[in-house]
Order: sequence, then structure tokens, then C-alpha cells
Amino acid sequence: MKDVSEIAQARLADVFVEMADTLVDDFDVIEFLHVLAGRCVELLGVSAAGLLLTDQKGALQVVAASSERTRLLELFQLQTDEGPCLDCFRTGQPVSVTDLPSAGRWPQFTGAAADVGFAAVYALPMRLRDEIIGALNLFHIDPGPVPEDTLRVGQALADVATIGLLQQRAIHRRNILTEQLQTALNSRILIEQAKGVLAERHRLDLDDAFTLLRRGARSRNRRLSELARAIVDGTEQLPSTMDGPAG
Amino acid sequence: MRLWTQVVARADSGPVAVEHVCAAAMSVAGVDASAVAVVLSASPRETVYASDRVASELEELTLTLGEGPGVDALADGPALVADLTAAEHVTRWPVFAPAAAQAGARAMFALPLRIGAIRLGVLDLYRAEPGGLDPDQLADTLALADTVGALLLDEAERSRAHPATPWPEHAGSQPAVVHQATGMIIVQLGVTAAVALTRLRAHAYVHDRRLREVAADVVARRLRFGPEPTGDGSGG
Repeated sequence: MKDVSEIAQARLADVFVEMADTLVDDFDVIEFLHVLAGRCVELLGVSAAGLLLTDQKGALQVVAASSERTRLLELFQLQTDEGPCLDCFRTGQPVSVTDLPSAGRWPQFTGAAADVGFAAVYALPMRLRDEIIGALNLFHIDPGPVPEDTLRVGQALADVATIGLLQQRAIHRRNILTEQLQTALNSRILIEQAKGVLAERHRLDLDDAFTLLRRGARSRNRRLSELARAIVDGTEQLPSTMDGPAG
Repeated sequence: MRLWTQVVARADSGPVAVEHVCAAAMSVAGVDASAVAVVLSASPRETVYASDRVASELEELTLTLGEGPGVDALADGPALVADLTAAEHVTRWPVFAPAAAQAGARAMFALPLRIGAIRLGVLDLYRAEPGGLDPDQLADTLALADTVGALLLDEAERSRAHPATPWPEHAGSQPAVVHQATGMIIVQLGVTAAVALTRLRAHAYVHDRRLREVAADVVARRLRFGPEPTGDGSGG
């Protein structure tokens, strides 16, 4: 992880402006969270980042990650049952584990994290007043502590993600939040379905299918979930190779 | 499980059906009537369950007018209307809102039954008195709506001749691999997402395997639905 002094202040400001800009328009929440996860990796100097949200049954679901590598997504999702994210979600407190094996907690999760090559993990709560709606999960390949200031930037990014979910609308209404969460989770399902369609149609693995989908959305200036729906419904197709015009 | 207990109690040891889940939903949401309209196999929509005459009248009204929370929920997500006579709602549904109030519904909560791109239908809840849902009521009702969705999928499978499941798997909470497999089967069989998911679930039932395991086989390309791809795989 980076020390906050290493994070270029100008770049930090840029990212928050970028996020604020996105929130103004009619934006795609999954795309927004995906970009945000990517910025976490870039700014905080971690190896991977993911965002998990609660569904209406109180379980955590992955909605976006810095990379769509299937094994990474599975590692995030594993924490439905056990792991730092679940603990963070339940307690509302940040969880820092600088060296997973020596922490001796969450045996299943620790093994899976080691398989993907991660030694350190952090979970920061996504909080709206009294309520915890999810967690920002950070992974790093090297063990070691994280500077306090860096985690503070991470928490600020988690807060931006929460604001994004609320789409600046009527934050005081708890039911709006439930609706937004439901919509975000359904968009995520939609994207998984579209990944399946593209993977099968173009003989790609699922990671590349997501890249193709995202590139298609960017080059057409379409919302990710809107294009995903069109692909699943069969009303739209994407060019059959990955080396088409880049967005 | 608390919600399940309610649903099972209403099924009275028989198979769980849409009406039992609706009865539980009416109880947790504190409403007077409920209905389920499907759009999966019916165009534009068909009422498969209505708890009473008011509910069936209001479903008829939605179908006839083509407007109302029950229509918007399908496209935009949950439509929660605490008072149908409020100006903003009358503006939004100029014909439906006053007619529904006239028919005896002041509050209406329309919850979409959907799994990603799959639109199964809508669960509509009606209350004679105005008033919203509190957060717990909404969360419980959404969970029950998910169950109604799973039952509708089971219904679609039953036409494929296999025994009714004692308990529907929660459609919306399935792991990502199920949705990815659904997408792949869409292409393999050249069918809609709804049919693809139905086929996947049917396969799991018939072979007595967990849905997620069958889905993992599809994603790993160990299991294929439909013919092997020929040439560039564009057939199918």
C-alpha cells in the first residue's frame, strides 16, 4: 500500500472530481462502481479492490471489482460466509489484516486468498448514518501494515461509492436506498448473463467477455447495463473479435 | 427462515404455491389485497393470482389502461405508492390512479419479479388506507417477491414434466455462475434468457444436482445444451 504522501495530491483531487462529475448525469451504477474500484487500486497502491453490497436478505453480494478475473470475484463472494468483509459489514468497523496466514482467522477464506496470491486484506464499511450497506474490500499481495492516512483515503472512496448508490436522491428516505441496492444487484446479474452470452458466442473466457462488453459500452457511449440487457435480449450484438476498434 | 415459517404454515403441509407466498406478503406488508401478473409467457400480461375481487379488478385496470405502478415496476424497479391520490401520482398515472382509488386502493406497492434481463412478472400489493411500507416491511416483501419469482420459474418447468419441488430455490440470490451459465445457454439453444434459466434448472432437478454445480459445468464447458457448435459457432 502507498503512503498517502506518495499519492499525488493532484491525482487524488482529479479522482474525486471525476467521481463527482459522474454523479451529475444519468449514470450507470455498476460502471461507476467498477471505475471506482479501479481508482482504489491506482490511488491506494493495492493489488485489487471490490465492492460488496447487502441484498434484502442481509447477505453480501459482489457488485463491482477492479478486475473481473473470475477467481478474484469468487474470492470476494466467498465472504458471504466468512471473511474480513463479512466481519466489517456485521460490526460496521474497518478490518485490517496485514498477514492473513498468521492472523489464523477465516481458514477457508485465507486458503482461497493465498491461492490467488494475496497476503493482506482490508475491509472498509460503506455506511449511511446508522446503517451499513456494504463494504469496500482491498487486497494486497505483500503483507504489511497500511498507513492510517491511506486507509482514510480508502474510506473516503467507500463513502463516494455509497453516495453513488444513492444517486444523490432523497438520501433521507431509507426505502430509496433499498430500491437502489436492489437495482444495483439486479444490474450485476444482468452483466453476468451478458458475459455468458458473449463468452459463448465469441468463444471467450468470462474475463474477456466483460472486457468486450465494457469496451462496447464505451465505444457506443452506452450505459453498461443497458447494453448488457440488449445483448441478453438479443436485440444487439457486439463485433466478434476482441481486436475491434478500441474505445 | 422466519418468512419461510410463515409461508409454510399457510401451505398447510401441501406444496407451496403463489397464493401462500402472497398471503405471507400481505401479512408482513400490512395490506388488504395482492395479485401476481406474469409477462413471461403472456403478452402483454396475465393475472395468475388475485387475492380478492378488488385485486383482480385492479389488475384488469392495469392491463386495460397499460399504465400504473404495476407497469412501471417492470421497467424501472419497485414502484411504492403510499397514496394514489397524491398529486405527483395522479400526474404520473392520470387514468389509473383515480380509478384505483375509486376501486378501493389508496396505497399500492408494485414489486418486479426479475432476474437480470429476465422479466417474470409483478407482485402487486394493495391497501385500502394510505400509508407507506417501513424498511423492514419492504425488505421482507422483496424477499417474498423473490420467492414468487422462483415459483413462477418452477411453474414454467412443470410443463416439462417433473415433480414439484418442495421448496423453491431463491432465484435472485444464486451465485454469478448461474447467471453466466444462463447467458451461455441463451446462445447454445437460441432461446430467451427465461427459457435458458428454466432449462438449466430443469436439468439440475432431473439429475438431482445443485443448480450451482450444473451451472459451473456449463461455464467450464463440460456440459452443453443443444448441438455442438459448427464452424464459427454462429449457428443455433
